[in-house]
Amino acid sequence: MYSERLFLFIIWQFDGERTVSGIYHLLKGKKTSQSIQDSYLYHLHMLYHSCEDVDRQEIWTLIRQIHANGWIRPIDANGTRFVLSTSGNEKLQQMNAQLLLPDALYMTNDLMHEGQFWLRLQLLIQTVSALNDQQSSFLPITKQSSVTEYVRHVLLSSHLNRAQLKKRLYQEMYCLLAGIPVAEANCLAAQLSGARMSGLTLKQIANETEKDLFECRILFKSALRRMMNRVSEHEQDFPIIRSLWTSSENGLSSTAHETLELLRSGLSIQEAAVHRKLAPGTIEDHLVEIVLKNQTFDLSDFMDHALEQSILDCAREANTKKLKEIKRRLHDKASYLQIRLVLAKHAGEVVVL
Amino acid sequence: MKQKKTAAVNDQWIRAKKVLQKKFGFRSFRNGQEEIIRNVLAGKDVFAMMPTGSGKSLCYQLPGYVLGGIVLIVSPLLALMDDQIHALRAIGEVHVRALNSMMHREERARVLSHLSDLRFLYISPEMLNQPYICRKLAQQNISLFVVDEAHCVSQWGHEFRPDYLHLAEIRAKLGNPSCLAVTATADHRVRQDIIELLGLREARQTIMSVDRSNIALAVRHAANDEEKMTRLVHLIKKVRLPGIIYCASREWTERLADYIRGMTGKRIAFYHGGMDTEDRRKIQGQFLNQELELLCCTSAFGMGLNKSDIRLVVHFHFPGSMNAYLQEIGRAARDGNPGLAVLYYTNEDHHYPEGFIDSNFPDDRFLQLVMNELDRGHLKVKSKEQFINDLKERGAGDTAARFIFEQIQSRLPANTYLSMTNNLRVLVRKRRSVLLQELAVMEKYLKTHECRRAFCLSTYQEQLRTKPEQCCDQCGIDLSVFGSDPETSEHKYFPVLNWKKRLAWIFDEEPQ
Ligand SMILES: [Zn+2]
Repeated sequence: MYSERLFLFIIWQFDGERTVSGIYHLLKGKKTSQSIQDSYLYHLHMLYHSCEDVDRQEIWTLIRQIHANGWIRPIDANGTRFVLSTSGNEKLQQMNAQLLLPDALYMTNDLMHEGQFWLRLQLLIQTVSALNDQQSSFLPITKQSSVTEYVRHVLLSSHLNRAQLKKRLYQEMYCLLAGIPVAEANCLAAQLSGARMSGLTLKQIANETEKDLFECRILFKSALRRMMNRVSEHEQDFPIIRSLWTSSENGLSSTAHETLELLRSGLSIQEAAVHRKLAPGTIEDHLVEIVLKNQTFDLSDFMDHALEQSILDCAREANTKKLKEIKRRLHDKASYLQIRLVLAKHAGEVVVL
Repeated sequence: MKQKKTAAVNDQWIRAKKVLQKKFGFRSFRNGQEEIIRNVLAGKDVFAMMPTGSGKSLCYQLPGYVLGGIVLIVSPLLALMDDQIHALRAIGEVHVRALNSMMHREERARVLSHLSDLRFLYISPEMLNQPYICRKLAQQNISLFVVDEAHCVSQWGHEFRPDYLHLAEIRAKLGNPSCLAVTATADHRVRQDIIELLGLREARQTIMSVDRSNIALAVRHAANDEEKMTRLVHLIKKVRLPGIIYCASREWTERLADYIRGMTGKRIAFYHGGMDTEDRRKIQGQFLNQELELLCCTSAFGMGLNKSDIRLVVHFHFPGSMNAYLQEIGRAARDGNPGLAVLYYTNEDHHYPEGFIDSNFPDDRFLQLVMNELDRGHLKVKSKEQFINDLKERGAGDTAARFIFEQIQSRLPANTYLSMTNNLRVLVRKRRSVLLQELAVMEKYLKTHECRRAFCLSTYQEQLRTKPEQCCDQCGIDLSVFGSDPETSEHKYFPVLNWKKRLAWIFDEEPQ
């Protein structure tokens, strides 16, 4: 089953260094720097925020099932951290990673915006469809004000009339969906609502197509990222859909971006914290996010080169990404922040196997 | 002079009748509506008890077109607000807005800056309690102060909301506009509370029967869950749909939906509070659009639902009170055609409502712990949100946390929190016993050997005068009356999964 293979892959990557909660936060896309950092450190960033609607219970059911199959074994007393068993390893070797994770899942440039973008797109399409059908009122798919206000603005500021807008939006959507694999396009479109037709939930799509729910989630996410990527690269061809989100530099969250500007202007972490009325820990989290997404970021403000090198060596030697372990081995010569920054900067290269 | 006044009243009434036809598309008033609206237009304070589905919203919407100024509607349920606004917009009303805590700041500001343009304003009680909003409203001409779900003001009711206790005071600040208090169900104690606590003066009362004579009532005992499921599937195959199936837990809604889909091939979905908001809205939309034949849900579904052709309401588990039961089955057959309400129960099912009652209140130990922590400053009350979250982290359920928050508001600065504990314990015991009593009545209903309809009515001190032909299982029902006709049941709906077809449909274009 798809979901079993997906979980074997995730557990293999985490290799017992993160708990089942870590898997949940990864898939759900928890907006903490810990989760974001983990996703890079363990080379799972393509799966970050890939299953927004997942719940803990569902994940535990799967874990128990895989455990019952004998493919994983717990490595702590409470059974929250798992590694692959020999048969689990064999199972994993047999599978084709490309079939598991479509290439577009790696298009994570606008990952921080995809949730809002998707809601806005759905609401815009639903509204345009209802207006075309002369419906003056309908049950909008969301009441989230950040979404409704945005769509309202897009509609009011368009220079097109209703009929033109409908035609253009249809053409943009058609062109985008025609350019992506059919299974992905179907998964995305089936969720769309229009006049007198409500979108299906992912669970319903899984039911109707007799696919695994996780597979539907991944197919949909891949479709969405493919779409956003294409729109970014050919802005002039998709003016309406392009107006549904604004990209930020290096795919940073807007709050991290604000912090980056302050640090660039010469403020220290402490000063930035005071300025933004945030805890210094939050600013540190932002810093880690900045480094993760811009690995050429210069760390010399935070440590000398020798310390950076010894942290890196230690992580490689000890074959771990556990901060505590690294700190201990370095006899507390490095702070947690320094270790996090080095790991973030080298997230792409420190491949621990 | 007197003649002049009578003439004016007549004019008003002629206008009201015109609005009824032109705006709302009805030729005549339904039972009770005329009396209520006449009193409202005459500026009286009115208390009205109208069962769900009997058109209570018309009683305050229609006067909005006859009286000048704003009709202010206090409603505790956001979903209900939404749906009513939705319905008003559908008849072409543009001067209607809502104010609630779920709205964006900007949107709220926009509403507040255009108050004088409004005909209807729906507002949640906590918004109304905000001094700056109250001040803004006081500058407006409020022609009618409507309190929806008025039973929430009474501690005897099952949905007591402390915010409601301030409404009388607020109404005074707004220049004492006349008041219409409406509720679907209230026994005599609750009615008294409403009139007293909302400060209604010489209230005109319209009490309508809770009886819905076009809904037949049936109760079936089963040995276990499996038997319930088999019987339910059997029923669904035979009777007319769409239908709602109420379950006591989220897990059950999912399990039962899967089972019924497998056994009958019907288009069915589940709905509960644990789902994403967007998913819930999609499912609700599908049900409204006839894209679903059946819905398995918890009591989270159905508030303010605007669908008149529901033919079947099943209770796979029974609720904790007759009030809740009547409200839920009242969603059937609003169009006046026959509807069927079937309840299945086993001897173990009372655990569900009992568990629910327990989760409503903090237990003694928890109460003491919280009060101690408050006194020591380990626990602080900075905001409602934060406090309720902190309590939840300590293991309290949502309702229990809210209960504590509301109660500690009344502490005098000189007293310790701990000194409140005893009073709170007494209050919890009192409220619990009210709920347990209601549950006992519900269970009595299941086991009664008399006419179910007569039993229902007697809990509201009403007598059954005319028995409908299809009354209840005790009096005998002919199920064939509710049978599905083969023609409509063969017409099957399939969702469009092909993206090209779906896109073409949504955008009303030729498929390419
Ligand atoms: Zn009867």
